[in-house]
Amino acid sequence: MSVGNRIYSELAGDRTIWVVVIVLAIFSILTVYSATGHIAFTEKGGNTEFYLLKHSIFILAGLFLTYVCYLLHYMQYSKIAPVLLLLSIPLLVYTIAFGAEVNEARRWITVPLIGLTFQTSDLAKLALIIYVARAISSKQEYIKDFNSAFLPIIVPILIIVSLIAPADLSTALMLFLTCILMMFIGRVDVRFILLLLFLGIVIFACLIIIGTAFPDIVRVETWVTRIQDFIENNDGGYQIQQSKIAIASGEWFGLGPGNSVQRNYLPAPYSDFIYGIICEEYGLVGGLLILILYVLLFFRCAKIITKSPKAFGAMLVIGLGLSLTLQALANIAVSVHLVPVTGLTLPLVSMGGTSIIFSSIAFGIILSVSKYIERTA
Amino acid sequence: MNIKNEVLVRVYIVLSVIVLAAICIFAQAIKISVIEGDRWRAKGKELYVKYVDVEADRGNIITEDGSLLATSLPFFEIRFDPNSTGMQEKDFESNIDSLAFCLATYVDNTYTPGGMAEFLRNERLLGKRNVLIKRKVSYSELKRIREFPLFNKGQYRGGLIVDRRSERHRPFNMLAHRTIGYIRDGAKPVGLEGYFDKYLAGKKGKRLMVRAGKAWIPINDLTEIEPTVGDDILTTLDIDLQDVTETALLRGMQHHNAKHGTAILMEVKTGAIKAIANIGRTEKGWWETYNHAVGSAVEPGSTYKLATIMALLEDGHIKLTDSIDIEKGKHQFYEEEMIDASKESFTIDTTTIQRAFEISSNVGIAKLVQLHYGNREKRAAENFIKRLKSFNLHLPVGIEIDGEAPPYLKEAYSADDDWSGTTLPWMSIGYEVTITPLQMLNLYNAVANDGVMMKPYMVKEIQRYGETLSKIRPTVVNKRIASPKTISEVQSLLEAVVEEGTAHRLKTSQYKFAGKTGTAQTNYKRRSSKKNLKYRASFAGYFPAEDPIYSCLVMITEPSQNGIYGGDVAGPIFREIADNAYASKIALTPAINAYAKAPLTEKKFPSISVGKKDEMAYVLSYLGLPIDKTTKRDWGVLKADSDTLNLYGRTIIEDKVPNVVGMGLRDALYVLENKGLKVVVSGAGKVVNQSIIPGTQIRSQTIRLRLN
Repeated sequence: MSVGNRIYSELAGDRTIWVVVIVLAIFSILTVYSATGHIAFTEKGGNTEFYLLKHSIFILAGLFLTYVCYLLHYMQYSKIAPVLLLLSIPLLVYTIAFGAEVNEARRWITVPLIGLTFQTSDLAKLALIIYVARAISSKQEYIKDFNSAFLPIIVPILIIVSLIAPADLSTALMLFLTCILMMFIGRVDVRFILLLLFLGIVIFACLIIIGTAFPDIVRVETWVTRIQDFIENNDGGYQIQQSKIAIASGEWFGLGPGNSVQRNYLPAPYSDFIYGIICEEYGLVGGLLILILYVLLFFRCAKIITKSPKAFGAMLVIGLGLSLTLQALANIAVSVHLVPVTGLTLPLVSMGGTSIIFSSIAFGIILSVSKYIERTA
Repeated sequence: MNIKNEVLVRVYIVLSVIVLAAICIFAQAIKISVIEGDRWRAKGKELYVKYVDVEADRGNIITEDGSLLATSLPFFEIRFDPNSTGMQEKDFESNIDSLAFCLATYVDNTYTPGGMAEFLRNERLLGKRNVLIKRKVSYSELKRIREFPLFNKGQYRGGLIVDRRSERHRPFNMLAHRTIGYIRDGAKPVGLEGYFDKYLAGKKGKRLMVRAGKAWIPINDLTEIEPTVGDDILTTLDIDLQDVTETALLRGMQHHNAKHGTAILMEVKTGAIKAIANIGRTEKGWWETYNHAVGSAVEPGSTYKLATIMALLEDGHIKLTDSIDIEKGKHQFYEEEMIDASKESFTIDTTTIQRAFEISSNVGIAKLVQLHYGNREKRAAENFIKRLKSFNLHLPVGIEIDGEAPPYLKEAYSADDDWSGTTLPWMSIGYEVTITPLQMLNLYNAVANDGVMMKPYMVKEIQRYGETLSKIRPTVVNKRIASPKTISEVQSLLEAVVEEGTAHRLKTSQYKFAGKTGTAQTNYKRRSSKKNLKYRASFAGYFPAEDPIYSCLVMITEPSQNGIYGGDVAGPIFREIADNAYASKIALTPAINAYAKAPLTEKKFPSISVGKKDEMAYVLSYLGLPIDKTTKRDWGVLKADSDTLNLYGRTIIEDKVPNVVGMGLRDALYVLENKGLKVVVSGAGKVVNQSIIPGTQIRSQTIRLRLN
């Protein structure tokens, strides 16, 4: 058996998703290498290989994790989800209180002993999605009931989301939206969902009130300025303008890999604004390809649910697929100035350890489900 | 609707929303790239960044005693970006008048405040990004400028652009000018600056610059990669001796109005160059223009006779007491007639070899060489050359300056070298060979050092921030250039030259020295008439003769007045250098244990002394001296009242000139400069007098302190 065949048989499940993962990973390494040229100079004395190496190691570790998660049966995740969820609540509280401040936001904690920092909201996000998927699928028979189905689902959602929101509103909103859409797909009554939306708005209002009193805990000021910037400034602020210049310089076919000029001006060209660099180097064509890859991912996830609509696995795939795709769309929407500036990364493409690791796990779980559902269906 | 269908419908609704969102996003991307594309691309072209090098400060060149021979002083160029991206209209408008006032008052007096404000407003309207405010600003000025209205908001919001430069300074001006050398764009690096450039240069930093219109301005206030300051090089030069040498040489040059001259002073035991001076006549007066000491190999004339006599002695051909007929200073070698330079020879025929050397008889020395190396087969001449080579007279000394001229020594009977019958006799008296002054001196130094030849060197340490990075130790080139017997014989011979020979007029009762004069004709090859002869006068020797500390060579090329002979022209300069070196370095520095220990008899309390209270209390308690009264203030005055020590408070009032009398310089500077006073200091010790009386209102005056 040739190596190609061997890999092919090894990577069972939805092969389209495998392709999406690998193409994204390749894009990631290429673009991050180019985009870190500038900080390699400022931080590492011109050692451009430093970030290439570090990022490649993360991507490879991520792909390995994807493979490991893919090998595990997805029902395993169902069991650990409540534990993770319970664990993530104190972690989130700890982060708000004692987390490391990066760019004036407390989103990170340092893992004792190994000294690595990681973003607790990523863990909570994964745990919540698995939990909601399980809750929806197990309560399918009485899903339209308020007390026995709706309440147990929304309580953890509200807790987790309101814990993430103070330091990282965009992630909280994305997660909230993901959960709402999961519930929508999971046949929860639309009136209940509207109620949940209303609750969300109430909590948001409370946060703003707390934020005006304790600006250290809730970043209301940042939210206000970003939204103001978005509404008032037609061309966008400095970052957005640089991103637009990047997109425009790429025209249709791009300047070619490694030829970005805007990486020197764009803040965080390797994470928040990586889409601008992709468009600059690979043109609108490259930008379209990235968009298609994420939409394709969700399309394949939707395909899985058509095979077994009631199953936990299918719900899980939809949740994770939604989370990845929505975050990608949100990230890109920022780059093209459709929404205010957020701190969301492009899943699996942006540089950043935690983001890559959790995106990889999500992909792994999706692939695991796709494999077992194919076998049973 | 069954469960499956309901789920599917809802999934497809979500899917459509997502697809729709993706289409919107892509449409927006197309709008940016295609519809608005030209506008954004044009905007992008305005922006350009590049990394520019940030020059590192060059390291210092320091003398052995810590004087700075060459150092880099920083200064700043101040520019203003009235259209800085971060500058807000209201900031500009509300501050521009006060900024203009500050600039016109403190920085650029050619403008009135109003004129300056108008100028800056105008530059803003013109879209200028890079308005020069002042080209050269010191660090203390810069500190103040940073506090100006608007500028205090930093580069991004306030538009202040600061560019740091540095300038090479040579505090001692001409002293060792050529030896210190320089590095200049488009010119060959010269001297120590050139040779040690890899240490001195440091490592360049990088700074990201953005194009703003035609100008480039730094993106950040900070340098992206900080430059690394160059290392310092600690030379063997001694600033006092260098001064003495340069002064003596200059005086001699003026007295004899010569073309150029060289003087080198070397430490006998180590080969360390303590002073090196080169002075030439230029259109603008006397100046160091070329390092003849290192770069010019010339026919030395009679100073070379030392090598000849050493060869004769070492090969056992002669004894100094042997007789030689010097034929009243005239002898025919083949078609050439050799004539002695000194008149004394014209009265003498047969004398001792010792005397012939003392009076520097060309005929005497040349006849001896011709007799012992010239009349038999080629072998004999080869032996002579071989012997000269054993004195390293064919090798450069390897001094740490680029461009050392190698010496020239003919090979016996070599047609390439134009060997002729007259070569050997003329070589023996320092013609048909060339050698640099430093190489010649090195032979005299080896004789002074009892036959041990050292490598001359000028840099003893590479330092960074006063810490030693590497040390360069004295190097022995040749442990024994000749037998101890030969060395001791030529030592006494060189002493005799001074005692009763050509240099006897230079004798002094202060100390004994040894040496040899030299007077070479520089243009004998193209002499048309005997009247236009030009000369090179030199003197090489060492002192004190009994226990030599320094060797020294002085060479004056083409003196045009007041004498031509080595003993008359170069000798006195040698004496002046030796006198000063002897007085300042040898006589004045007896061994530390030369005298009996002075008993500690003085019993005296520290008298009025002002300083930080805590520090004084600490020192006194360390010394075990109890204080009877102390003060609560920061600064204290220590007074001994009969038999008690009291610490009284000294008040320092916020905006009044304080009383610093009694303070050490460090404390006085700290107090006064903190209050914004400029301090000018004279003398050393404690402050005894201050020019502004205490209690005067502070208006950043200049205060003069006298120390004693």
